[in-house]
Amino acid sequence: MTQRPEPPVLSVHGLSVRFLMPGGHHVAAVTDAHFDVAAGECLALIGESGCGKSVLASALLGLLPANAQTAGRAHLGGLDLLAADERTLARQVRGRMIGLIPQSPAAHLTPVRTIRSQLEETVGQLTGVWGRASVRTAGEDAAARAAFPAGHLDRYPHELSGGLAQRAATALALVGGAPLLLADEPTSGLDRDLVEHTVDELRRHVDTPTRTKGDTGRALLMITHDLTAAERIADKVAVMYAGRLVEVAEADSFFGLPGPRHPYSRGLLGALPERDFTPIPGMPPELGDLPAGCAFATRCARVTDACAHRPPTTGSVACHHPHRPEEIRA
Amino acid sequence: MLELRSITAGYDRRAPVVRGISLTIEPGEAVGLLGPSGCGKSTLARVAALLHRPDSGTLVLDGEPVRGWRHHAPPARRTAIGVVFQQPRLSSDPRLRLADLIAEPLRATGRREEAADRVAELAEPLGLTPDLLRRRPHEVSDGQLQRACLARALVLRPRWLICDEPTAMLDASTTAALVEAIEDYRAATGAGLFAVGHDRTLLRRWCDRTVHWDDLTASSVPPGDRPGSPLAARRPAGAP
Amino acid sequence: MTDAGAGPTAGTQDGPVWRSRRTDRQSTRTVRVRTSAVLIAATALAVLLVPPVVQLDQQAVDLSAKLLPPSWEHPFGTDDVGRDLLLRCVYGLRVSLLVGVAAALTATVIGTAVGACAGALGGWVDRVVMRLVDTFSSVPHLLLGIFIIALFRPGVWPVVISVALTHWLSTARIVRAEVLSLRSRPYIDAAVSGGASRWRVTVRHLLPGVLPHAALAAVLMIPHAMWHESALSFLGLGLPTRTASLGTLVQSARGSLLAGQWWPTLFPGLFIIVPTLAIAGLAGAWRERFNPRRRSELML
Repeated sequence: MTQRPEPPVLSVHGLSVRFLMPGGHHVAAVTDAHFDVAAGECLALIGESGCGKSVLASALLGLLPANAQTAGRAHLGGLDLLAADERTLARQVRGRMIGLIPQSPAAHLTPVRTIRSQLEETVGQLTGVWGRASVRTAGEDAAARAAFPAGHLDRYPHELSGGLAQRAATALALVGGAPLLLADEPTSGLDRDLVEHTVDELRRHVDTPTRTKGDTGRALLMITHDLTAAERIADKVAVMYAGRLVEVAEADSFFGLPGPRHPYSRGLLGALPERDFTPIPGMPPELGDLPAGCAFATRCARVTDACAHRPPTTGSVACHHPHRPEEIRA
Repeated sequence: MLELRSITAGYDRRAPVVRGISLTIEPGEAVGLLGPSGCGKSTLARVAALLHRPDSGTLVLDGEPVRGWRHHAPPARRTAIGVVFQQPRLSSDPRLRLADLIAEPLRATGRREEAADRVAELAEPLGLTPDLLRRRPHEVSDGQLQRACLARALVLRPRWLICDEPTAMLDASTTAALVEAIEDYRAATGAGLFAVGHDRTLLRRWCDRTVHWDDLTASSVPPGDRPGSPLAARRPAGAP
Repeated sequence: MTDAGAGPTAGTQDGPVWRSRRTDRQSTRTVRVRTSAVLIAATALAVLLVPPVVQLDQQAVDLSAKLLPPSWEHPFGTDDVGRDLLLRCVYGLRVSLLVGVAAALTATVIGTAVGACAGALGGWVDRVVMRLVDTFSSVPHLLLGIFIIALFRPGVWPVVISVALTHWLSTARIVRAEVLSLRSRPYIDAAVSGGASRWRVTVRHLLPGVLPHAALAAVLMIPHAMWHESALSFLGLGLPTRTASLGTLVQSARGSLLAGQWWPTLFPGLFIIVPTLAIAGLAGAWRERFNPRRRSELML
């Protein structure tokens, strides 16, 4: 595994997002999230759909709808993303500091323009490259970095397969040399082989140093519900449940031994077809109507009276009765 | 028995995505069809579900050859097959509350009075609370909506279930819950299953038998004669 | 803590500091929507309330006060036979709006029916109907409208019929396209698979999805129909000059404009333009609002 360099690229502290709904009540989409992502490291944020993962990503990019409110801090290169204004986000952050790898690349690309023209436009916008010939070369370089075949550059998005569209989108995300890559469900809808391929490509970008500095590589925050993909790529795993990070763990120990410590994480892993294939009973609570205590208590086998109080989210496991390594081995 | 005999189908007659595929599913059997996205397996599933008329080939359903697809098939034939689609959001009418979504097939076939009981009966084991049943699709999560779509597929007690990657967009726990619900239904009714997907592990764990698309096509199509762009192949050209 | 269910209280004593972001784009849009709403409300009030409340005769001729420029007594001035232009404009707007709304509604009903049939039935019905639509569209609206009007005696209803018969084409196209796009959605497959008849699929699943588009088309057509009425009247083919409509007002003011009297042209002109812009402003906001999927896409 990669060596961990000290200052994290992205440091999120107490990030919360809530939506003001008509009638004055709130939907707590993300509550009090703490995590760091270092250069050359991949953090996989996992959880089921609707748990708040994508909202967290939107918050980092400043793309929340107008009825959203944020709290906490998210430091990226000396800038607090949550406090930055739209102008700063547009001119300095998106593309330059955060490269977004979208969920559905086919929809992310402009359908009426070739991949080449979109890459060249992005190159012109984000880098200092100027002049037709050099922009063209830079565009081709960008494509090559994402392993996008040069022969397909003059095609339109609808002429590309899912895998190639994903690479084109990745190429666009890499152009600005952003230290942080944010991948929002990059593998959803792809078949297994393509998932593995996409994930391996992403891993390669994490390990490749950015062009500008001779550092240890990019940081990758990957949001996914695909545990198999997460296992393949991640150094660290953050599990989100009902808007809270319930567990942040090293990927090795999470997927291997001793395994996850939060009962929800264990249930999620256990539901995989290659493991027990047993669902966690019940469904997650509504983000607009969270219980006062632990949000997982109603579905949890280890529930006690203590679970009526909310476990602190500051540690690595937000649970009153986490599985302990020693009992897991036993 | 559900027999697909040398089915050729697609959205463009000159370039069919499914070419001469044959596949037989015994009554009560669960067959998984594995294949990469865009290979044509969804089209084959639509043919089997009486939703897409093949260019050539025969579909024999419970011993009787199918003569019409979509509205050309008698309602009783169509409803003998329950279908669960890949994307719950696209496969649910955005204006219907979940309870109405589930009851819609009953109403469409003139069995309105059974609706309330049947919906309650199906919703409970799927974890769909009365509160959820009152909501519209945009007010629930993908997982909850797919549970409702499964209930809709089961509401007329079909003899066959056709699942086109029903869990591709869902997390592991919801996937396991949906598969469990389908298996409970099959155990109770002896319904057959045709599941299409790309997740080897899932289909092998779920189904009695899995076949790979390439093995089906190897016998019928000369190699290297794959249809064109996967994206173009998935939907008819009408979509914007 | 009162909002124990929602606030991120754990681990922090003083509670979180919430920040909201409101973009400029949002606020200009709000201003635009509000202005449009106020203008439309004012138009509606004027049209509905002024005639019964004021009880003035818009046709009252006063040759001693002809072509007076705007003043306190006549805020919009008077026309060439001394009629008060403000009053004439309000009555004119009334007639123009009536024609606009009636024509837009008729056109939308025809267009939706034809478009839905073509889209839902498909096959040769679709081909024949759409060829017909193409044929009609290839003739300029105004020309066709004039032709239709020539078949009747002048009056309000011939204008309505003429505008409606020339304007259902675009609605039919919109509705057909929308039906076609909905028809390939998996939820229609699901309905078919659930045993729904062709009729049920069309009426219960396709049409409700299309109606917002048709309604929007209808609203946007109101100003368009008003313009057509004005154009026909301006050419002297629409309403009789005696009936005040925005078109006839502009038409009868033609002569005085050359003589340097601008008010008889300007005010009726403004009465055409302002409601048009207001309706377009509101319709734009509506188009963004009526899609229920938008919220969940952003949130979850």
